[in-house]
Amino acid sequence: MMGQSFAQEVIERALSLSRAQETQVNLTMQKLELTRFNANAIHQNLSRHQVELTVKAVDGGRLGTAATNLLDPGSVQEAVAKALVFARLSPPDPHYKALPAPEPLPVFDGYAPGTGGFTPAERADWCGVIIDQAVKAGVESAGTFSTETNELAVGNSRGTRAYHRGSQAFLRTIMTAGDQTGYADQLSREVSDLRPEAIGQEALAKALTKPGAIALVPGEYDTVFHEYAVADLVRFFGYLAFGALARQEGRSFMAHRMGEQVLGDNVTIWDDGLNGAGLATPFDWEGVPKRKVMLINRGTASGVVYDAYTAGREDKKSTGHATGGGYWRGGMPGHMFMATGNTTLEEMIRNTRRGVLVTRFHYTHCPEPMRLVATGTTRDGTFLIQDGEVVARTRNLRFTQSLLEAFNRIESIGNTARLTRDWWSTFCSVLPALKINGFTFTGSSTF
Amino acid sequence: MGSPWEKLLALARRRGAGYADIRLVKTKTESVALKNDAVDTLTARTDAGYGVRVLYHGAWGFASRPGADAEGLEEVVERAVGVARASARRQREPAELAPVPPAVDHYRSPVVHDPFDVKLEDRMELLREAVTAMGAEVSVARAGMSIFRTEKTFASSEGAYITQDLIESGASLSALCRDGREVQTRSFGDYATRGYEFIQELDLPHKARAVAWEARALLEASSCPAGVTDLICGGSMVALQVHESCGHPVELDRVLGSEATFAGTSFLTLEKRGNFQYGSEAVTLTADATIPGGFGSFGYDDEGVPAQRTTLVDCGKFANYLTSRETAGRFGQESNGTMRAVGWQNLPLIRMTNINLEPGDWTPEEIIADTKRGIFVEGPKSWSLDDKRLNFHFGQEVAYEVVDGSLGRMLKDPAYTGMTPEFWNACDAVAGPRYWRVHGLPGCAKGEPVQSIHVGHGAAPARFRQVKVGVGQ
Repeated sequence: MMGQSFAQEVIERALSLSRAQETQVNLTMQKLELTRFNANAIHQNLSRHQVELTVKAVDGGRLGTAATNLLDPGSVQEAVAKALVFARLSPPDPHYKALPAPEPLPVFDGYAPGTGGFTPAERADWCGVIIDQAVKAGVESAGTFSTETNELAVGNSRGTRAYHRGSQAFLRTIMTAGDQTGYADQLSREVSDLRPEAIGQEALAKALTKPGAIALVPGEYDTVFHEYAVADLVRFFGYLAFGALARQEGRSFMAHRMGEQVLGDNVTIWDDGLNGAGLATPFDWEGVPKRKVMLINRGTASGVVYDAYTAGREDKKSTGHATGGGYWRGGMPGHMFMATGNTTLEEMIRNTRRGVLVTRFHYTHCPEPMRLVATGTTRDGTFLIQDGEVVARTRNLRFTQSLLEAFNRIESIGNTARLTRDWWSTFCSVLPALKINGFTFTGSSTF
Repeated sequence: MGSPWEKLLALARRRGAGYADIRLVKTKTESVALKNDAVDTLTARTDAGYGVRVLYHGAWGFASRPGADAEGLEEVVERAVGVARASARRQREPAELAPVPPAVDHYRSPVVHDPFDVKLEDRMELLREAVTAMGAEVSVARAGMSIFRTEKTFASSEGAYITQDLIESGASLSALCRDGREVQTRSFGDYATRGYEFIQELDLPHKARAVAWEARALLEASSCPAGVTDLICGGSMVALQVHESCGHPVELDRVLGSEATFAGTSFLTLEKRGNFQYGSEAVTLTADATIPGGFGSFGYDDEGVPAQRTTLVDCGKFANYLTSRETAGRFGQESNGTMRAVGWQNLPLIRMTNINLEPGDWTPEEIIADTKRGIFVEGPKSWSLDDKRLNFHFGQEVAYEVVDGSLGRMLKDPAYTGMTPEFWNACDAVAGPRYWRVHGLPGCAKGEPVQSIHVGHGAAPARFRQVKVGVGQ
């Protein structure tokens, strides 16, 4: 681990070298340990250490950025100088206001020593728990188990100083029984929260349920979504609509409808980077404290998240949603929560006369961002519900559906929410299961 | 030239590794983009580090760390061996590597004009011209350019020692127009393993005017009607279709399940090799890392296997996979050189190089003239495939109606969907070499952690009969 004192020493050194009017320095460190298994054996296994220093220089409203993963004095000086050279070559940005002023920051340690110290042998043994379940059941398991430690230090010439460390552990598996697959995962800051037996059992049960997939005629179905699938649906709202830049550029449905009822009145979504039910982090890439932002309040478009740049365009204060990577602007909701309802997943199934149960999606995309028309296929457990019971496994289905319309037809919402990440790993959100009526499936695969 | 890392490779062997390789990768990147009257991106990045891969009793381990200095690399070797020992706890069959003659060589990509020698002011001026060319009616006009220099050194315990210097360049444009009712975007992007001469050949201001005109016109266009009709894909759309529905399913590690939990597997299962009718006779697909300037071109892959050309689909018949030393060995073959890693920090995976639909003998005009009813689509906007790469859905930025052999009105929000083998078997016309070029795609994602790599696709306009279009209207 880099550690706070080392990180701050590098930040101070870089800031002291800068001749720019304003300077922001970020130092990130990642230690990623990741094991993948397939066909009941480990096939990939890695230990990756990374570090990166990013310098943003501002001179007369002109911005330039340079980054390096070399922390020797010469390389740091070179990055600082390059950022200023770039800034001076760029035109003044008419929308730029200033780097954020220092603010009091929440203090908590997001690092779990158990996660950071988890060894390759321990990872192999935990994967082995799932592999043994698969072998015993006569099926094949595949999966990924990662333990990760991240550090972020931020400093700017206005006096902002911030340091945070965090960790996360993620274990997922697919069980394959002939043509049938089942999936389960678990994500937590603390590796000891993960339950490999339970993950394996959940995936195994799904793989073995209702053998013999039937072909379902595409059409509109009342559909029950596991939290894994909900993560992929909510993701589209997150990256296409809930950031300030998309609204300012008029490319989001939030652009002209703030304050209007845009989704069903049973839908409430907010971002809260300080809530420990998610992967909480005290501040953003610019060292601004995370603020809770209501995005959709009982179906009404209520807010978007800002970084300093987009906030400056509206004479507002950043909400603490700047994202990393040099000069990437706009604000992103990295800690979304959706309000729970009062129905269990089992009740949603029981209350469905004829419908579909979706475990998870694969490779979703958005052909029409303004209407949030999304498409993707189901995978690892899609089932037909008939008269309140799961009666058959179906072949994987393709959906093509406006999510604005779909989230106006949510019949019921799960009474619990879980920390889950979408297929793309764009966001880690805390979400309930959903039942959406009249969800549109436009095609079917052959498996 | 001998490897400077002999002691490190010997350490790996002493720790029990039957095979080890070390990669040092240094990259330098500069990205600049203008959005309307402001700079959107202006970044320089320097990156260097080592990756060590070992095979311990047939089990893999990989470790990496930043820094260009080899001092203290023993720790990385020890870590890689430790990881491999852990892998061995849950191993079924030991991995074996197909033989490859250990090369001692240097490769340099062809460059006429080093882009790092071009003043940033000049690069920005070209982008400013492009943004200006889009005109005031474009709400968000963006023009960007990225240049890359990569120095790679590879040494293996088998005696390979390879150095490579790669220069890459590329640019992108996008024009977003809105009228209060809706938003439409047209864009362009292309990349190559070439120098600044490639950027100059793109003629960005000219292309900027074209994308802006279409973006504005799309606001007034009719929606693409739903139905089943003949589909003519422009070159960039063919390139993406090849990428998603051929390039990915022929990756042999996918077929064997290595990517099952994330990117998925493949419908091209092992028994299909050599006897599966992937497409029509008009469809011949190749992997060719030797194409000069292709964005997926190089001298050697990251296992030290020389770049090569492989026929994947021969006149419609599925012929070969993309392979690594480990996977090729299962079939008693040699690797066809597609193990590639993004940077030093990631382990190599089977990746696309330049995956190409070989040219046919039509002209685009002949294809259109020969089509009674259909649509011509161009400009990928969205892409989605199932986890075996069978069922797909592609959205495009623009379409034109084809009626009685002529292009008609513009259509907005087109999309088509289908099943991969049916789609490629419905291909009956591919434009000829004059209309064929390699399209550079800068972000092919695969693996955990995700690695986003540069690939190329040789493509020309092509026709597909009776495709379901207008899905999602």
